[in-house]
Amino acid sequence: MIKLIVRRFIELLISTFLIATATFFLISAVPGDALSAQTDKLPAATRAQVYKNTGLNKPVMERYVITMNNMLHGQFGESIADPSVTMSSLIRDRLPASARLGIQQMLLGIPLGLLLGILAAVYKNTWIDRAVTILALFLMSFPSLVLGLLLQSYFGGKLGWFPIIGWPSGDQLWWGGWIYTILPTIAGGIGYIAGYARLLKNSMVDVASSEYVMTARAKGLSEPQIVLHHIVRNAFIPIITSLPVTLAFGITGSIFIESIFVIPGIGQYFVTALTNRDVPIIMGETVLLAILYIVTMFITDLLYTVVDPRIKLYDN
Amino acid sequence: MAVSDTDFHFVQGTDNAGMPTVLTKQPAISADEEGAPKSISFWASARQKLLKDHLAVAWGIILLLIVLVALIGPQLQHYDPNLIRVNARNVGPSAAHWFGTDRLGRDLFTRTCIGIQVSLLVAILSTVLAIGFGTIYGMVMAFFGGWVDEIMMRIIEVFNSLPGLLITMLIMVVLGNGMWTMLFALALTSWSDAARQARGLVMQLRQLDYVTAAVMLDTPLWRIMTRHLVPNMMSILILDIGQSIPGNIFGEASLSFLGLGIQAPNTSLGILIASGQDQMLQHPLQLYIPILILVAIVFAFNIVGDGLRDALDPKFQG
Repeated sequence: MIKLIVRRFIELLISTFLIATATFFLISAVPGDALSAQTDKLPAATRAQVYKNTGLNKPVMERYVITMNNMLHGQFGESIADPSVTMSSLIRDRLPASARLGIQQMLLGIPLGLLLGILAAVYKNTWIDRAVTILALFLMSFPSLVLGLLLQSYFGGKLGWFPIIGWPSGDQLWWGGWIYTILPTIAGGIGYIAGYARLLKNSMVDVASSEYVMTARAKGLSEPQIVLHHIVRNAFIPIITSLPVTLAFGITGSIFIESIFVIPGIGQYFVTALTNRDVPIIMGETVLLAILYIVTMFITDLLYTVVDPRIKLYDN
Repeated sequence: MAVSDTDFHFVQGTDNAGMPTVLTKQPAISADEEGAPKSISFWASARQKLLKDHLAVAWGIILLLIVLVALIGPQLQHYDPNLIRVNARNVGPSAAHWFGTDRLGRDLFTRTCIGIQVSLLVAILSTVLAIGFGTIYGMVMAFFGGWVDEIMMRIIEVFNSLPGLLITMLIMVVLGNGMWTMLFALALTSWSDAARQARGLVMQLRQLDYVTAAVMLDTPLWRIMTRHLVPNMMSILILDIGQSIPGNIFGEASLSFLGLGIQAPNTSLGILIASGQDQMLQHPLQLYIPILILVAIVFAFNIVGDGLRDALDPKFQG
C-alpha cells in the first residue's frame, strides 16, 4: 500500500512537471504576449519598463526556470493582464460559483439518471426500457452549450421567467438567489441524467445475467429482493468509482455554461486567460487541474478495492 | 469469467468498464428457409442485425439526407455565402431565402449548408485521425512491450491527466484558429482511449497461433498489423469511430462558439450558433435552425452508433 502511494506520488510529480513544461513552452511559442496589445501605443522606453516590471523581457529559458522555481514553492504569480488576480484570489473568488453550479447540477442529474437506469434495467426489453434508452440518447445529443442557449433564449428571453445572465454573490454566494441558478443547473444537469442512466442500466444488465442472481432467483427470493440486494448493490460499483471524476470535473467549472450565463467561475476565467496569453494564470489553472485529476484517479483506484475486494491493485 | 477480465483490465491502469472481447471471425449460424443451418459471415450477420433496427436505419437515412442537402444546397441557389446585402438584413424564411438571412444579409441556407460540411468534415476527419493514430500507437505498445510499452503508457497518462477540452483550447491558441488546426487539436486529445483499447486487443490477439506463426516467419511488423491485427479489430474500430464523432461535433461547435475555432466570416455550426445567440431575442429562428440541425446530426450518429454496437459488439450478441 505504501509502495503504491509512493509510486503514484512520483508519477504525479513527473506528470505535473511534464504538463507544466509543455504548457509553458506551448504558450511561449505563440507570437505576442499578455502585454503586447496593451503596450502597443506606449513610447518605447515606457514599454520596456512595463516589460521589465513583469519580467517578460527575459529570455524564454530564464523565464522557464523562474516560473518552475516559483511553482516549486507554490507560487504561480499574479496575472499579467490584471495584477490583482492571483491563483489564490481566483480560488477564493471564483471557485465557489463553479463549485455551487457543479454540485447543483450533480444533485439534479445523478439521482434522476440512476432512477431512470434502474427503471430501464428492471423493465428490460419493455417500452419503458426503450423509452429510457432513446430519451438518454436524445439528451446526449444536446451539448450543454446548446441546451444552455435554448433554455436561456426561451425561458429567459421569450417567457421572461428567469434572469438571462448573472449569479448570486455576497451573502447568497452559497445559499439563496436560486432564481439565477435554475437554468444553468438544468443545462448542465441533463448530461448527468443521460450518462448515469446508461451507465447504471448497462451495469445492471451485466450483473443480472450473473450466476448468483440466477441462484437467488432459483431459491425463490422475491423480485424486489433480488433487484435491491443482489443486482443494484453490485451494479453500483462502476457508479461509485466514476463519482470522484464527476465531482472533480463538476466543481472546477463548466466552461460553456459559465460563458453563456456569464457566471463568474473558474472555467470562464480560463478562457479569458487563454485569449489574453496570461501565462501565470494558464499555468496555474492547468497544473492545479492536472494535480486534482491525478489525485482523483488515485482515489478512484482505491475506491475500486473498497467496493469490490476482489480487485487488487498492481498485484502481479 | 467476466469479473477476471475486468480485473485484468483494471490492473493495466485503464478505466473502461470491461474489456472488449477479441473477435475471431467465427461464422454465425443461422437457419435458412429450408431449415438447414447455413453459415453466414460475421459481417453479413451484423448487416442483417443493423437492417432490422428500424430506428437506426431511419436515422441513418435522415443523416444521409442532411449530408446530401448540405452538399447540393449551395449549388441549387448560387448565393455567395459571404455576400453582405445591407437592404436584406434579418429577413425571415421565404422562397428566395429558405432559412432567411442573418444580420448582415447573408443567405442563411447557403451558410448553413457550408457550415454542416465544415463541421462534419472536422468531426469525421479528426475522429479518423485520432483513432487511426491511437490504434497504431496501441499496437506498437502491445507488440514491443517492456520499456517501450512503459514509456508510451506514461505519455498516454500525461495526456489523460488533463481535461481534453483544456488541451484542445491550448493548442488552438498556440496554432492559431482555422479548420485544419482545429482538426489537429481535436484529434490530439482523443487518441489515447483508442490507443489503450488497441493495446488491450493486441495483447489478446498476439497470443493467437496465427500471429505467433507470422512472427516466427519473420513477417515485417507492418504486415502483421495490416494483415492479421487490423482485420480482427475492424468492427471495434468502426464502432469507435461512429461513437466518437458526436463528441468531436460538440467540440468543434463549442470551440468555434467561444471564438477559439473556426473564425468568421468562415462558417460552421458553431459559428452559426454563436451568431444566432446575438440575435436570439429578436430573431430566435437564427439560433434555433443551426441548433436543430446540430442536434439532429448528433442524435442520428448516436442512434446509428447504438444500433452498430448491438450489431457489432460481441458483448451484445445474442
